[in-house]
Amino acid sequence: MSEYGSIWGYRAQWAYLLLIVATLMSPVFYVIYISFNENGFGAAEYVFTLEWYGLIFSDRLMMNALGWTLMLAFATLAVTVPMATIAAKFYKATRHKVFTIFVLLSPLFVAPDILGSALLVFFKNTNNMFEAFSDYLGTEFFYGWFQLGFMTAWIGLIIYTMPYAFIVILITIGRYNEQQTEAARACGASGWRAFWDVEFPQIRAGIFSACAFTVILSFNEYTRTSLLKGGFDTFTTVLISQMLNEGMSEQSYAMSSLVSFVAIATIGTIIIFTMIRSEQLQRKAQPKAEPADAPETNAEPQKAAA
Amino acid sequence: MSSDTAVEVVDLKKNYGPVTALENVNVSIKSGEYFVLLGPSGGGKTTLLRSIGGFIRPTKGRVLLHGEDVTDLPPDKRSTSMVFQSYALFPHMTVIENVGYGLKLAKVPKAEIERKSHDMLEMVGLTGYDRRKPHELSGGQQQRVQLARALVLERDILLLDEPLAALDAQLRKDMCVELKHLQQQVGITFIHVTHNQEEAMTVADRIALIADGNLVEYGPAREVYETPKRRFTASFVGENNLFDGRVVTSDSDTLEVNSPAGQIFVPHKGATVAAGQNVSVSVRSEVMSLERPSVKPSSPSAPAVSGTYRECLYLGLVNSHRIILEDEREVVVRTLAGPDGTVPFAPGDPVRVTWPFDAGRLHTQ
Repeated sequence: MSEYGSIWGYRAQWAYLLLIVATLMSPVFYVIYISFNENGFGAAEYVFTLEWYGLIFSDRLMMNALGWTLMLAFATLAVTVPMATIAAKFYKATRHKVFTIFVLLSPLFVAPDILGSALLVFFKNTNNMFEAFSDYLGTEFFYGWFQLGFMTAWIGLIIYTMPYAFIVILITIGRYNEQQTEAARACGASGWRAFWDVEFPQIRAGIFSACAFTVILSFNEYTRTSLLKGGFDTFTTVLISQMLNEGMSEQSYAMSSLVSFVAIATIGTIIIFTMIRSEQLQRKAQPKAEPADAPETNAEPQKAAA
Repeated sequence: MSSDTAVEVVDLKKNYGPVTALENVNVSIKSGEYFVLLGPSGGGKTTLLRSIGGFIRPTKGRVLLHGEDVTDLPPDKRSTSMVFQSYALFPHMTVIENVGYGLKLAKVPKAEIERKSHDMLEMVGLTGYDRRKPHELSGGQQQRVQLARALVLERDILLLDEPLAALDAQLRKDMCVELKHLQQQVGITFIHVTHNQEEAMTVADRIALIADGNLVEYGPAREVYETPKRRFTASFVGENNLFDGRVVTSDSDTLEVNSPAGQIFVPHKGATVAAGQNVSVSVRSEVMSLERPSVKPSSPSAPAVSGTYRECLYLGLVNSHRIILEDEREVVVRTLAGPDGTVPFAPGDPVRVTWPFDAGRLHTQ
């Protein structure tokens, strides 16, 4: 707040912010509210229960979809985060920053259904080409390589999550002083060792945040996944299909609430951790002239003990 | 190459796209000497240092360390260590972990790492600071930790990239002397980059002047200061007054140069010059003196130029007198500041600027 600003103006800004958050989050809170109602959605009487949460794990369709979703999310994480880290390092080093950032963020500029359907057509055609090539060679070796399934959904999710992970990592990597890597190299460290010993501990918060974002984004993604998944179901595809066909079951409310809670808690933890870390870094950026409990500085260098 | 040559740079060239950062640099640095790369910002001195350290791959040319061609080796495969301008300490490690990091990489036993690191901290005057994190140290202390981290590796070439630039003036002076003493104590080769000539003069055995990607001149510090060979050196090192002109006559001892400020006599000192050739004459401001035109010159050929007294700037130890010559150029004369603060000239007074005949230096390049 400005030193001369009105306290009421400052409070109004906070009220506005909280109103936006409340508006955005109230549907989620409503779902959570229903998930604890024994009588389900639309019932006149509200009776608190944890029963629906207990039944989540008995819904085989849902649990199967959850398994696939988690597998996809972690497989995506395993590729996206290292790729995004390399991309962020490249971006920091290159002189052609505008072109690089355009290329890396371009998946964000394409609507999800357009990108999903483009990939669908691409994979179908590629699959046909591979099969034709296989027929030409008289073998079945290349059959089904690009058939819709786990791998195609995985590639789609990597393309989708990569720009987000890149931006999150870039925020922390941008503050890193590259001379520390050079100092480590001058001490005898290889490139990888310098990264692992010196750079990684300082950009760890960004990398972990990128991991969390990637998992959450993969978990929540519907359009690309539903177009590219082939024969299996994911959490969001099951949920939406249930909602469209039969209306949501009580277990679905409970599951949605649980997922929302985990996502909010994860993101909240990341934000709090990042803010604390940022304050720590700011404090560290101002070296103290003399530590309060430091021993006296030796004014002149001393001869080393033999 | 002689056996006591630590670093030899041969025809080194570095281009960044169309920009040439270094142009065919050749320099040889002896083992155990304190060598300073001095020059204006953007001149190429850091590029040269980083090429020696392996942080920049030259476009052309070779870098030899103790006779071994290391041009294609990365920094961790070279017998150099480095001190950076921005301290570059590892913030997540304590002081002792920073100092011992290189030894840990070299798989030195833990007890020995501890002992050597403590010894080195004692050497740089930081005993008792070993468990602190870098952010708990002042700028000067952080720079000492960097020095300890580099010296503990016991490599025989230490590269220092503007190591004192981030320190305040007094601390910089103190650290300069400490660096010189440290170098004498450990006896290894120090190659130090700076744009500060006072810093360079304090520490250097030899100085190389680098500007516009070229090695302009190099030699012992006193020689570079007192008898610079090139005009650029005279303009950059010390406070020199420069007179451009044309050779009128020359005999075995004296050259007469016709400059817009007047006729100037300068020692010949075996220079190969011909009548009509364009040359420059430089004279250090502290060897010049001022007198009134009414005072009779000591000899008709004594070097002197006439002008108008402009102002006196009090700099503490010395006064800096500024005189405008007849061709509108400014000449600076430094004299020791008197105890009473009086200046014998007033703005607008006609004055004559003189200097000893031997103090004039001729530059043909």
